[in-house]
Amino acid sequence: MFLALKELRYGKLRFAMIGFIIVLVAWLVFILSGLGNGLSTLSAATIKNMDADYVVFEEGSSSSFSKSMLSESISSDLKDQANVEEMAPFGSAMGAILKEGSEEGEDKTDVAILGISPGTFLEPKLIEGKPLDEKNQLGVLANDTLKEEGYTIGDTLTLDGSTEKFQIIGFVENETYNHLPVLFTTLDHWRLYNFAAPGSNNGIEDVVNAFVLQGTDIDAAELDKNLDGIETVTKGQAVNGMPGYKEETGTIYMMLAFLIVISAFIISVFFYVLTIQKTNQFGVMKAIGASNGFIAKAIVSQVFILSLVSVLIGIALTYATAAVMPDGMPFDLDVTLVIIFGAALLVISVLSSLFSVRKITKIDPLTALGRVE
Amino acid sequence: MTGLLLKNVSKVYKEGNEEVKAMDNVSLSIEQGEFVAIIGPSGSGKSTLLSIAGALLHASTGEVIINGTDIASLSEKQLSNVRLKEIGFILQTSNLIPYLTVLDQLLVVKRMTGSVSVADKSFARELLTELGLGAKLNNYPSQLSGGERQRTAIARAFMNNSSIILADEPTASLDSNRAHEVVQLISKEVKARDKAAIMVTHDERMLGYCDRIYRMEDGLLKHVENHQASV
Ligand SMILES: Nc1ncnc2c1ncn2[C@@H]1O[C@H](COP(=O)(O)OP(=O)(O)O)[C@@H](O)[C@H]1O
Ligand SMILES: [Mg+2]
Repeated sequence: MFLALKELRYGKLRFAMIGFIIVLVAWLVFILSGLGNGLSTLSAATIKNMDADYVVFEEGSSSSFSKSMLSESISSDLKDQANVEEMAPFGSAMGAILKEGSEEGEDKTDVAILGISPGTFLEPKLIEGKPLDEKNQLGVLANDTLKEEGYTIGDTLTLDGSTEKFQIIGFVENETYNHLPVLFTTLDHWRLYNFAAPGSNNGIEDVVNAFVLQGTDIDAAELDKNLDGIETVTKGQAVNGMPGYKEETGTIYMMLAFLIVISAFIISVFFYVLTIQKTNQFGVMKAIGASNGFIAKAIVSQVFILSLVSVLIGIALTYATAAVMPDGMPFDLDVTLVIIFGAALLVISVLSSLFSVRKITKIDPLTALGRVE
Repeated sequence: MTGLLLKNVSKVYKEGNEEVKAMDNVSLSIEQGEFVAIIGPSGSGKSTLLSIAGALLHASTGEVIINGTDIASLSEKQLSNVRLKEIGFILQTSNLIPYLTVLDQLLVVKRMTGSVSVADKSFARELLTELGLGAKLNNYPSQLSGGERQRTAIARAFMNNSSIILADEPTASLDSNRAHEVVQLISKEVKARDKAAIMVTHDERMLGYCDRIYRMEDGLLKHVENHQASV
């Protein structure tokens, strides 16, 4: 610690430069993790929010809500299966809405239209207004981001390419699906909108896209055996089945991994070069009695202090960036993710300094006597 | 037994197929309070002798006994501990650590043994003041003259109060005034603190400060009875 701090103070400029690079890398890592988190929220927040364990799809739909069609008539059979505690049907559709009475040519808003049964565990908590009601088929709950687009409670919405109408009766928060703000409606009304064209429901009566199950001990394989034509997956698999989800998070995690590997390289090369430059100095220290451990500790603690300070600055910069980012950016810093990536950067940099430590143990103290060849 | 004892020490360097006998059956015994000089032409094996006496290098044959301990069987870690506790090195160029102040150069030696006490700090100040560096405690090596650097290195060698002091051409990079000053200081400290000291030098003007003089030639060590005659 002693040597490490003294040298950091003495060589401010050279350590500031490498620290600056670590700050930039850390900053980028945190921004990317925020972006990744934001994008995955945007793409599947509603599914992630569900207090659910398993999702039942139509067989062969590869965990995709839009490819899956089941009849609500199997719901009582599903409920009777072992370990199924709660069950709720679910339907999804895409659409574009327009405030009723607005001028021709005004901006439409893309939304996800999700059908649920009022009162089931799929109905999200309201932040404003009234809950869904079977008796008011017109009523929908809207994600609060729609407020920014000028929608308020009581607005009647017309749907692009459909004769159906909705009316906003309440707002919910953090409900996005397929990168779009969500409108929750009743299953019946969802069917009217989504299967308006004759035959588009494949002749299935009371069609839904999927059933969402609660029950941690559910045996998915057992369920698939007992009921014909279904495919049961965990909630996590259902999230992965959201369009683009895997690709987006995969890309971002790949970039994160690359960044962390790059920073490991930068740090280890920098300190390795420093160590080689100081071979003679370390030889002298060894000659006057320093053990390998004493010198190794100095290097490792130096890397640790430098990375810690840099990562902390990176975190501060990230939060500063988040504060000035436009609202619409899918950027969502998760404190646990920040801690995890910060710790990962620290651990990686300390590990990468071990190359230098290995070099030190090989330095011969005799070099101190400066034998001229 | 304290002090340094070399018994029939030989050292052979192997480089490829070539063998260089750098020390040939050298015996030497130095008691506390003795300041011994070794002179001789370059390549005669003086540094090799010092490295072996300083636990930096193992002898090919013979015994090296430092304060009663035969160092032949010690591990690398034990050897570094011997260097730390029993031996003070003064090297050809001062070899100070560039990012430490004069005072910290001494304290780091204490750090290597564990922690630095208040007594250690005042001992370091005392040593440095004795060597005329009282006003330079907080200077970095780059802010010192060559003589000041070498004096800092001398103080460092005495810091752990080790009983043996080894100096390898400590005046090589100094002009003759500074050289006299430095050797005089070493001799003064050796006497005052009762050390067993060896200085390798090829500057024969420095021999007046030493108690005994040896000449090294082709690996053989010979006692010089009267150094005035040998000049
Ligand atoms: N590490 C080494 N490997 C091989 N030969 C060495 C080594 N160190 C010294 N020598 C050889 O041993 C002889 C004595 O060297 P040294 O002790 O450095 O002499 P001095 O210090 O008197 O100039 C020289 O011939 C030198 O080339
Ligand atoms: Mg030499």
